[in-house]
Amino acid sequence: MRLASRTRPRRGVPERDAALVRELVAAVGAPNVRTDDAQRALLRRDASVFDGGDAGPVCFPRTAEEVQAVVRAARRHGRAVVPRGAGTGLAGGAIPLGAPVVVSLARMTSIGEVDRDARAVWVEPGVVNLDLTRHLRPLGFHFAPDPSSQQVCTIGGNVANNSGGPHCLAYGVTNAHVLAMDVVLPDGEMARLGGLDPEPSGLDLRGAFVGGEGTLGIAVRIAVRVTPNPPAVRTLLASFSQVRDAANTVSAVIASGIVPAAMEVMDQRITRAVENYVGAGYPLDAAAVLLAEVDGLPDGTAHDADAIARIAREQGATEVRLAADDRERALLWKGRKTAFGAIAQIAPDYYLHDTVVPRSRLADVLEQVYAIADRHGLMVMNVFHAGDGNLHPLLLFDAREPGMLDRVHAAGADIIEASLAAGGVLSGEHGIGVEKQAYMDRMFTPDDLDHQNRLRRAFDPECAANPGKVLPTGHSCADIQQLSSAARGLWV
Amino acid sequence: MDLGIDPERLNACVQCGLCLTACPTYRVSADETMSPRGRIALMREVQDRGAPLTREVVRAFDTCVQCRACEPACPSGVQYGSLIEATKATLASRRGGWIRALAFAPLSRPRLLRAGSVLLGIAQRAHLVPRRLGLSARIPLWRAPLRASGDDVWMFTGCVMDAWQRDVHLATQRVLEAAGFGVRPTGAGAPCCGALHVHAGLHDRAVALARRTMDGLPGDAPIVVNSAGCGAALKEYGHLLGTDEARAFSARVVDVQEFLARHVDRLPTVEPLALRVAVQDPCHLRHVQRAHEPVRTVLRPFVRECVELDDEGLCCGAGGAYSVLEPGMAGQIRERKLSSIGRARPDVVASANPGCSMHLAAAGVAVRHPMEIVDEALRLSARAGR
Ligand SMILES: Cc1cc2nc3c(=O)[nH]c(=O)nc-3n(C[C@H](O)[C@H](O)[C@H](O)COP(=O)(O)OP(=O)(O)OC[C@H]3O[C@@H](n4cnc5c(N)ncnc54)[C@H](O)[C@@H]3O)c2cc1C
Ligand code: SF4
Ligand code: SF4
Repeated sequence: MRLASRTRPRRGVPERDAALVRELVAAVGAPNVRTDDAQRALLRRDASVFDGGDAGPVCFPRTAEEVQAVVRAARRHGRAVVPRGAGTGLAGGAIPLGAPVVVSLARMTSIGEVDRDARAVWVEPGVVNLDLTRHLRPLGFHFAPDPSSQQVCTIGGNVANNSGGPHCLAYGVTNAHVLAMDVVLPDGEMARLGGLDPEPSGLDLRGAFVGGEGTLGIAVRIAVRVTPNPPAVRTLLASFSQVRDAANTVSAVIASGIVPAAMEVMDQRITRAVENYVGAGYPLDAAAVLLAEVDGLPDGTAHDADAIARIAREQGATEVRLAADDRERALLWKGRKTAFGAIAQIAPDYYLHDTVVPRSRLADVLEQVYAIADRHGLMVMNVFHAGDGNLHPLLLFDAREPGMLDRVHAAGADIIEASLAAGGVLSGEHGIGVEKQAYMDRMFTPDDLDHQNRLRRAFDPECAANPGKVLPTGHSCADIQQLSSAARGLWV
Repeated sequence: MDLGIDPERLNACVQCGLCLTACPTYRVSADETMSPRGRIALMREVQDRGAPLTREVVRAFDTCVQCRACEPACPSGVQYGSLIEATKATLASRRGGWIRALAFAPLSRPRLLRAGSVLLGIAQRAHLVPRRLGLSARIPLWRAPLRASGDDVWMFTGCVMDAWQRDVHLATQRVLEAAGFGVRPTGAGAPCCGALHVHAGLHDRAVALARRTMDGLPGDAPIVVNSAGCGAALKEYGHLLGTDEARAFSARVVDVQEFLARHVDRLPTVEPLALRVAVQDPCHLRHVQRAHEPVRTVLRPFVRECVELDDEGLCCGAGGAYSVLEPGMAGQIRERKLSSIGRARPDVVASANPGCSMHLAAAGVAVRHPMEIVDEALRLSARAGR
């Protein structure tokens, strides 16, 4: 790229990196290596609340082979690599620890031809989730995982975090939509994991890699499943005077045997914030709203929509509304999808949590979450993938207030405890990253952790891939370096 | 270093990154230093943490097209426009903004601009104008005069547009008249809105031009604008000057399509032109004025088919003086627009901003102002009816 080529390495990375930088330049060309302070300062962090680590040289490879060459160059200099997509991760997965080489996949954006028989398409990791769906839509397909960040996050990031979204209730999270991958292993070798055959033979290493958060290597080509666009879609909005009623409706719908495409609950505070931002037509007086969607053949969806409406009323819904047309549908979803951002109008900073609890315990845990926030003097809002018990409590705060971050983290810890005590798990979809490392041994036995550790070492014997993430201290590749300044909050 | 940015506004960004793909410079570079989130983070590094203004930091700010597509994309309501305008003003005052100030001087001096334009038009015909300036459309050497037909609305004529694209003004005026409005062209009374000055960080000059424009257009008649960039600037006088008078003035400003969409029923029903028209949304119409829908409302009855581009309103790279100041980046951004236009297969592209149309025309695209298209449909049918 012509513009970048005007900037030559300067200041930035230390002298001792000069030889490494030369090799990186040989690998990807000067315009695709950046070492300046500005670039490194920005890639020090992602969308999480963590203040960031320390980035070494930054590379922008354009092909799988260039990724390989970068990884090999880093290896020769004993340096780790950290892959990065769009940097929208909320668990700090893309934060570089110990000045590793940062490998941005954002320039690898080509989409192959759709294989209609295998219902698959090969894409490069930097393809933006929504761009893929927009590309597929005229062909009659879409990519089902739809994180709220879908207009920016990359398929590589989705794979690494095994990301989910509202429509993963019926369709499954990213893991269910990745058939095969070419990955550059931490030693620079390229390997194909999985395959387009319905029953690939051997160990399911593909499954192991999805959710690996960049600690097992870099995905450089991904064969994703394409999902046919449903012939009919119906979207309902139900209002409740108690959050508990909404949670119970969700359990009752699933118990009735219906599997909606999506079921999302938002509490009153978040509903109001969103309404103020997009004007989606949400009721402002309801304690909670449930957004449910069913898709499939027209008759089936009509039947399911009626059934959901009936169940909601039985559970005490004060109003049930069916979106009249695509426009209204899109607006209802726009409200849900911008929920995380819209709350920024209320407080300058937020911490978005992510835990999963058994559906039957949703209502109880929610009440605890409100109590925990009260106890710490914080404001909490709840928006969640109710269908699979995935809670997203949002703590609102102003990081400039002294002592505030400690309170936020203490409340976060209590929320995690409450979820685990209810039989839940640490993360629904954002990953462990640096955020939840310290809780891993609350969730897993030493034996479990040991196995995870061994799997990781099998891929990465020298701790060269995204070190310092996922596995807690005491395990290999964990003690690389503490965060330069732990959780200073959003970059103030 | 203090960049002069309001700390509260700067703090509003939560670094979520949801704006990245709306940004044309990030789209073509995949480089965070050329993204809204990155630029805001760099503003914080400089203003809050005392980071030095290195070449890369300055470059990050210089490459911003100021298309403001990041604003509607941002769920946190970050007012990016005001952040970058403050930053540019500070940078301009540091590095002797006078060179640019001099370059922009003719804009508010109609005769000087006219003389310069005629010279440029002659030079163009003599093949003396460097291609990098991207002037494809021939600058006219002769212009039909503007005349007033009444006092229902002001028609804002501006600077460069009046010198180079007077035909668009004439077409706009005829369409307004066809809808039954008497039109008074603003002409020398309000020679320049100051949009380019705001963009370049020439704050004081912009304020002076705003005052002059307001003085030149008294009364309460609507001020109808057919250049998205000027319209956006005029609508922001309230913000620029911060006075009640300026806010009242801004409230009178309306984009011509926005105005006509409210009165479509007053336009005669005519035979539509046999054209497949792709609508290109100028950033300052879509992201700043958020008045891009009316273009479709107004165009639809007058053409066979109105089609959308598939790039979600991504910038074309023109950006006022941007295409001249940053030709490399502007060219790359335009490439994306061209491929989107290619996929839409239109006969003609409708663009409601002179900067965009010149930038696209320079790449060989057939571009017309929506008012020219409507005007042609009206005139053809009038001729047929005679
Ligand atoms: C407002 C907002 C809403 C969100 N909503 C959701 C949601 O609904 N559901 C959800 O699941 N998540 C959500 N997220 C989190 C985030 O968007 C996802 O985790 C997303 O998949 C990250 O993609 P990315 O491209 O930004 O990856 P990054 O943040 O750049 O990286 C994430 C991890 O992936 C690794 N990685 C990146 N590319 C590769 C590759 N090619 N090979 C191997 N490893 C790689 C990185 O090292 C890092 O560990 C949200 C985030 C935000 C800011
Ligand atoms: S400008 Fe808005 S969308 Fe962009 S990173 Fe900041 S808060 Fe997010
Ligand atoms: S104004 Fe346009 S170019 Fe500048 S940061 Fe925003 S989206 Fe990018």
